[in-house]
Amino acid sequence: MGQLKLDNVRKSFDTSEVIKGVSLDVTHGEFVVFVGPSGCGKSTLLRMIAGLEEISGGTVSIDGTVVNNLPPVKRGISMVFQSYALYPHMSVYENIAFPLRVEKLNNADVEKRVKQASSILHLDERLQHKPGQLSGGQRQRVAIGRAIVREPSVFLFDEPLSNLDAALRAEMRIELSKLHGDLDATMIYVTHDQVEAMTMANRIVVLDGGYIAQVGSPLELYHKPDNIFVAGFIGNPKMNFLPVSCIDSSNEHVEVKLPNSQTLKLPVNAMEGLSGNNMTLGIRPEHIRFSNGDAIIEAHPNVIERLGIHTVAYTTIADNPNTFCALLEGSAPAKVGTAMSMGFMAADCHLFAEDGNAFERRIPLTEIDPTLMIPDTD
Amino acid sequence: MINKYRWWEYVLIYSGIALFLTFILAPFVEAFVVSLRPLDALFSIPYQFFTDEMSFDAYFTMWSSVPLLFRYMVNSFFISTAVTVLALLAIIPASYAFSRFEFRFKNSILAAFLAINMVSGAVLIIPLYKVMQQLGVLNTYFAMIAPGVAFVIPTGIWLLRSYLIKIPKELEEAALVDGAGRIYTLIRVIIPVALPGIMVVAIATFIAAYAQQFIFALTFNSTNELNPLPVGLFQFFGRENVVWNELLAASLVGILPVLILYVFLQKHIVSGLTAGAVKE
Repeated sequence: MGQLKLDNVRKSFDTSEVIKGVSLDVTHGEFVVFVGPSGCGKSTLLRMIAGLEEISGGTVSIDGTVVNNLPPVKRGISMVFQSYALYPHMSVYENIAFPLRVEKLNNADVEKRVKQASSILHLDERLQHKPGQLSGGQRQRVAIGRAIVREPSVFLFDEPLSNLDAALRAEMRIELSKLHGDLDATMIYVTHDQVEAMTMANRIVVLDGGYIAQVGSPLELYHKPDNIFVAGFIGNPKMNFLPVSCIDSSNEHVEVKLPNSQTLKLPVNAMEGLSGNNMTLGIRPEHIRFSNGDAIIEAHPNVIERLGIHTVAYTTIADNPNTFCALLEGSAPAKVGTAMSMGFMAADCHLFAEDGNAFERRIPLTEIDPTLMIPDTD
Repeated sequence: MINKYRWWEYVLIYSGIALFLTFILAPFVEAFVVSLRPLDALFSIPYQFFTDEMSFDAYFTMWSSVPLLFRYMVNSFFISTAVTVLALLAIIPASYAFSRFEFRFKNSILAAFLAINMVSGAVLIIPLYKVMQQLGVLNTYFAMIAPGVAFVIPTGIWLLRSYLIKIPKELEEAALVDGAGRIYTLIRVIIPVALPGIMVVAIATFIAAYAQQFIFALTFNSTNELNPLPVGLFQFFGRENVVWNELLAASLVGILPVLILYVFLQKHIVSGLTAGAVKE
């Protein structure tokens, strides 16, 4: 079994607190990804689960046992490092066998388990090679092999793909997802790459400055971000934000005034009496249409990137210092220096109060993706 | 790298090297030439580089004029080897601790090691003599080895520590996650990875031990059979004259083991001293 429970976990280095109270439940077989900008504490949190970093407060339990004071090996975890951390003087075979040698397993058992791991990871041909003779992807597989021979209940990955080139990264992503299915194991994965997070995770934990900003399935984070941080972090190109002011609100909608004085009625859960409040409207670049929609704003393109399938337009709009980005179809007739009108639908908009928290959009998740959107019930 | 020196810069560089090498190698050349000369031709005036009747005779007669000569060479080698092995046994764990653990007074202790290095062994000879006398170990190999070990440890720690710091911490963390203890990690992971660095320290220690044994042997030892070569060479100093040609022949033969060691291991020294300087 691989259950993991974090209860109000804290970590301070000297006087500065890096993890400021994180609580999380992970059930057996889940693939949970910690994601966040650098310095948000995601790696520290993982290292605390691993037992490489002392826990300043709160408890970490694995399979119901509090492991705060246990060494890594007694926690039933294994870890894959960003730099692979292979032992350069040992062959691939000995690298994978290392944890078993520590356990003093007899040679026959070691061989059996190493062979098993190497066949899962397609390393059979490479067993006698030294890590220095392998490519990046193969080294990464050896590091994973070393993690799986011990058959731990929880796997921890610390940015394992960030040293690989883009093509290999995509390949390894698929392999890791497959491995997760084959091993029926709990995996905790740290990354700063939201594509990795979106593609592999059952649940994503977005961390911001030592706090959990939001926990949810990938599409939940995409469609219903809890706050402006998650909204800006998930999605590429980044969500556009416009300052708006509220002119009317009810339980079921908020009516706002855009900088160019257009009004827009957004279907969100709110309350009465918000009128006059400053708010932030969020609209994803991919939801911007060329000259049609519930609201239309004038934009001046500065840079146009044509990717074939898409055209990305970086524009400026009146009274807004931030770049306004639109993801248009490949053949969109956008041109630098020629003003264009961009439209978007009220239903696609996100709305955030002044404190950064989102008003929940009135869109049932099941409508967006019925297969994935059945909420996890623990 | 692009070769950017002009011809006259090459001339300067090479003449600098030539000057430097002349200073270093001239004594060796002179020693070799003297060892080939008959004794009575040594002080000929005017000086002649080549004299008549040059031969390798001294290399054969020296063994009979000082019968224990071979024993002295073995002693020298033995003392240096013992110093190196014992010193490494202390240096490796100590420098590992200094490179990885946080403990109180860590930096002060390191600074103290450096300061101790500045005190020459000769200053401490008299107190050390008293200590050896109290312990009753005068005239033993131990008396020559123990102080030698003590004096090479600080330098060794400084050398090896800087090498160990460069070994990625993840390697140990991986071993820790895999269930290995500190000692197991040190032996199975750190020492093999640090082998080039350890080689450098071993060679530096060996050479230091070879050079410093004279003073310890001279003071702490009066048993002839235990003397190392530098002290043994004194027996070429006769009552009336010094057998210079045999003395220098014996010196050169005595240097040979270190020289051979150096030739075979120098690629480790170079790679060890520069390891980690460039990203692979």
